[in-house]
Amino acid sequence: ICDYSVVPLSSFAVCIKCLGFDLSVFSEPLPLAPESLEVSVNSTHQCLHLQWSVHNLTYHQELKMVFQIEISRIKTSNVIWVENYSTTVKWNQVLRWSWESKLPLECAKHFVRMRSVVDDAQIPEPKFWGDWTSWEEVDVRRSLGPDPLFVFPKDKLVEEGSNVTVCYVSRSHQNNISCYLEGILMHGEQLDPNVRVFHVNNVPFIRETGTNIYCKMHQGDVIKGIILFVSKVFEEPKDFSCETRDLKTLNCTWDPGNDTGLLTQLTPSYTLLESFSGKKAICTHKTWCNWQVAPDSQEMYNFTLTAGNDLRKRSVHLLFNLTHRVHPLAPFNVVFKNVSTTNATMAWRIHSVGNYSTLLCQVEVCGEGKVIQKQNVSVKVNGEHLVKNLEPYTEYAAQVRCAYASHFWRWSEWTRHNFTTAEAAPSEAPDVWRNVKSMQGHCVVTLFWKPLSKLQANGKILFYNVVLEHLDGPSTLKLLSIPAPANGTELILDQCSYEIHVTANNSVGSSPASVIMVSRDPGSKDVGEERVKGTKRGFALSWKPQPRGVTGYVVEWCQCPGDPLCDLRWKSLGPNATSTLVSSDAFTPGVRYNFRIYAISTERIPYLLERKTGYSQELAPSDNPQVLTSNLTASSFTLSWKDYPAESQPGFVQGYSLYLKSKAPQCLPGSEKAVLPDNSVCCKYKIDNPKQKTFVVENLQPASFYEFFLTPYTSVGEGPLGAFTKVTTPDEYSHILIRILLPMIFSILLIMILCYLKSQWMKEKCYPDIPDPYKSSVLSLIKSKENPRLTIMNVKDCVPDAIEVVNKQEGTRKSLTDTEPAKHSYLYVLPTEKRYPGPGPCICFENFTYNQAALDSAACGHVPAPSEAQPNQLGLVTSSEHVLKALGKNYVNSLGEIPAGETNLNYVSQLASPLCGDQSSLPTNPPEPVLCSEYKMQMAIPVGLASPPSIPLLEEGEH
Amino acid sequence: PSCLFPGVVPLLLVLHWKHGAGSPLPITPVNTTCATRHPCHSNLMNQIRNQLAQLNGSANALFILYYTAQGEPFPNNLDKLCGPNVTDFPPFHANGTEKTRLVELYRIIAYLGASLGNITRDQKVLNPNALSLHSKLNATADIMRGLLSNVLCRLCNKYHVAHVDVAYGPDTSGKDVFQKKKLGCQLLGKYKQVIAVVAQAF
Repeated sequence: ICDYSVVPLSSFAVCIKCLGFDLSVFSEPLPLAPESLEVSVNSTHQCLHLQWSVHNLTYHQELKMVFQIEISRIKTSNVIWVENYSTTVKWNQVLRWSWESKLPLECAKHFVRMRSVVDDAQIPEPKFWGDWTSWEEVDVRRSLGPDPLFVFPKDKLVEEGSNVTVCYVSRSHQNNISCYLEGILMHGEQLDPNVRVFHVNNVPFIRETGTNIYCKMHQGDVIKGIILFVSKVFEEPKDFSCETRDLKTLNCTWDPGNDTGLLTQLTPSYTLLESFSGKKAICTHKTWCNWQVAPDSQEMYNFTLTAGNDLRKRSVHLLFNLTHRVHPLAPFNVVFKNVSTTNATMAWRIHSVGNYSTLLCQVEVCGEGKVIQKQNVSVKVNGEHLVKNLEPYTEYAAQVRCAYASHFWRWSEWTRHNFTTAEAAPSEAPDVWRNVKSMQGHCVVTLFWKPLSKLQANGKILFYNVVLEHLDGPSTLKLLSIPAPANGTELILDQCSYEIHVTANNSVGSSPASVIMVSRDPGSKDVGEERVKGTKRGFALSWKPQPRGVTGYVVEWCQCPGDPLCDLRWKSLGPNATSTLVSSDAFTPGVRYNFRIYAISTERIPYLLERKTGYSQELAPSDNPQVLTSNLTASSFTLSWKDYPAESQPGFVQGYSLYLKSKAPQCLPGSEKAVLPDNSVCCKYKIDNPKQKTFVVENLQPASFYEFFLTPYTSVGEGPLGAFTKVTTPDEYSHILIRILLPMIFSILLIMILCYLKSQWMKEKCYPDIPDPYKSSVLSLIKSKENPRLTIMNVKDCVPDAIEVVNKQEGTRKSLTDTEPAKHSYLYVLPTEKRYPGPGPCICFENFTYNQAALDSAACGHVPAPSEAQPNQLGLVTSSEHVLKALGKNYVNSLGEIPAGETNLNYVSQLASPLCGDQSSLPTNPPEPVLCSEYKMQMAIPVGLASPPSIPLLEEGEH
Repeated sequence: PSCLFPGVVPLLLVLHWKHGAGSPLPITPVNTTCATRHPCHSNLMNQIRNQLAQLNGSANALFILYYTAQGEPFPNNLDKLCGPNVTDFPPFHANGTEKTRLVELYRIIAYLGASLGNITRDQKVLNPNALSLHSKLNATADIMRGLLSNVLCRLCNKYHVAHVDVAYGPDTSGKDVFQKKKLGCQLLGKYKQVIAVVAQAF
């Protein structure tokens, strides 16, 4: 850090020698002592700079001298440094020397003096030291200023692990000052009453922004501090290496190592020095530097890489022969010529390295990511290499790199190029399989084939040729050409005996033919189905070897069994195969796969050998059967689930589990207790036969409540837990009651229906409205007890005096709550003064429904005459009470015992007429015109007695 | 408002520091034409108040960020190292007239702006990784530039004061690193104290 340079003082000095002076001519040598000693301080670097000169030298005289320098601290007697500085001294030269102090110069006074001795062969012995100069005092503290406290050194930069001395200078003699490094108290030694020194050894790296060191004066609350910048140790460059690519430029590279810090003082600089040529290059980059090769064919180079910052310099050396460090550039213009199906010629060019140099090139051919060929070729300018044994229609990657042949140093970078060999005819016949169906007398043959592998195809397959040769009839050939990438075709053949040839074709030619026979009888006998257990690897299928006459086997299956398209797959095997592993990533757990194993006869006719079915992984049933309950009795019921598709379950159904819940604490015979997933306890029946689709639950209690749930199970487990079905067993005697009650109820209903249908007949027979007096038992009683001569009055003898007319609104219905009785109108036919009581003249009238009986009986009833009606005025009885009374009285009278002498007859209940609707629904308020008169005057009335125009039947609004 | 301080502060500072710390700039004659590039904002005083409030609101956070980034002994010796004893800081009289207060505010903001420039420059070297501190220093300096422009506009338009003599703090470029840190801390402590008073006065 401190500068040791020596600078000539002046160039225009007097030429003493020219003037004739020479030391040798002096009888006594003049004293050669250092004079004009000046000492200056560089606080930044903590250096003392000394400057002096030596007088009494002659012009152009050069003498080797040794200067002894003494440095004392605090006082002159405390010498801390003595050094002999040897140098050649010229005439009128100012000499400089520097010294770096470990203790900050501000912390103590320093004194410097020196003396000299001539150490030159020109000067004969004896040699003796000259006198000491006077002590030069250096006291920086004088210029510090008035502050009470100072800490030194300021902003010092050191390497990690070095030792640093810190001091403080206080203006007072009080020693109540504490100093800290990043908050940790430091312990030092007192240099003088105002100065204390702290030695920090092995200083650590804390942060790039520096370490805070501060001193605190407890009186006056003064804190002063410094920042000590600690850098990482500057490392030596690693992996220093030089090489050339064209023998014109050298490129030297190195690893600079770890960064030392952010400060600009720590930024490293790199210099490249070549010792043979003495040339020097300043490197502008941190990791590499270029060096121009001299045109004078310098072969050997001795490089020194010097790296340094303000703290340290590091150097590494490298000696080498230029031609041993040749790293050629990558080849270029790589092309392929004469590319055939199996060969190709690779050509390339190289960058020249010097004159007449030879390169060693390495060629690699890669196919499908692997190196398949490797060859070394010696090249001057243009390289060429024949690549053999290639596959047709295959893409290859070829790459080439080169190295200096004379002295291998390093390979160049690879230069890659891809090429594809020419096509050839397909080498293998396609793997063909078929599916034959008979449809309406035709044979529907679906042919499938697998695309040829890349190695087999030898090119791009353009189409497939299918040749059909009819075997039964005259030999005919039919050719079908199916463009790629079809993997099958469907043929509808009139007959089934065909030999089919399938070839794959590319632009060069055809593959060998694959031959398959199709016959009407495919030889498929009724082969049973075996179960096979699949694994994660696939299905291991085996079959019985056929004794003879087999050219191969084919295993066929549907990749998508549930799909109508099936996605037919097959696997062709040799004649000696008896087992195979059918594996596919598409096998899905829970899907049942059916395999058919065919043997191919020598006539190339396949026939079904075995059938296998299985799951790659069985699962528990996905759904439960719909269970029907029947035959429910007091002690049993029957369950059936005949529609349950056990084959479509994701596993082989091995049986069924029936769970039965009841209030009974014990399980019935044949069942055992089981705990369901919901922790409920019930009884479980196990049905081991998977084909059993019915089950009778017996030994049940009458009139009891049961719940059941049926689920299938596979080897994995049972189906999902579903809802329980509720069943209640009937009482023990209820069926007997049912057997009796039902026929009784049926019979009663039948009778009631009959009665209803024959109600009119029944009514007339059993309870006519107008009883036949001749049939009445009353009459016999009367006859026998009272008056044997009493006879029944003949109707014909009666002359009616009034007609009771009951009008009813057709089509209107009577509300149940409407209790108003029907309005009856009495048509008084005969004028009478006393309408009631007393017998009056009778009027006979004809009623077709009744008249016949009346005629038969030859009787005629008496109609009581109205008591208050005026002559020729037919009044209308509007009071319903009167009517009811009259009705009630008359009806009672008609049924009950008729008092002697009473001959009046009422016709109230003769009104049933189909046209007039319900008889019970009597109109209560008939405001409309009369639609139907329920009574029709039947009997001719004498003109003088009743004149129709003079009879106002009803007043308007009284219907 | 930010047009007055268009990034030539360093140049101005160099020119001014040649005269020494705290020395006033040559005074422009009073009758110099008061011309601003742009018309003042209609609600200028309100804007000045808002800017002062903004500075006052962020001053303490800036102070804390600063002394935390300097490391020990700064955070635990704020009274000794970061006390607001800045001797040449421009005075402020809260009970003066608006014109006086604006002139004094101008001097203060000019002083602070220059000092913040020094601090920002030093901290980019001394604490290159203290990005939040750098961001806060820059944001504060931006607001100060706007405030200075607004104050000048107000002085110009209402009081016809074209120029105000300003003084700047000492240059820290020649000082040792510890002293730079300490001066920055003192300045920011003073700033925190003064800006509270000034914001209250407006």
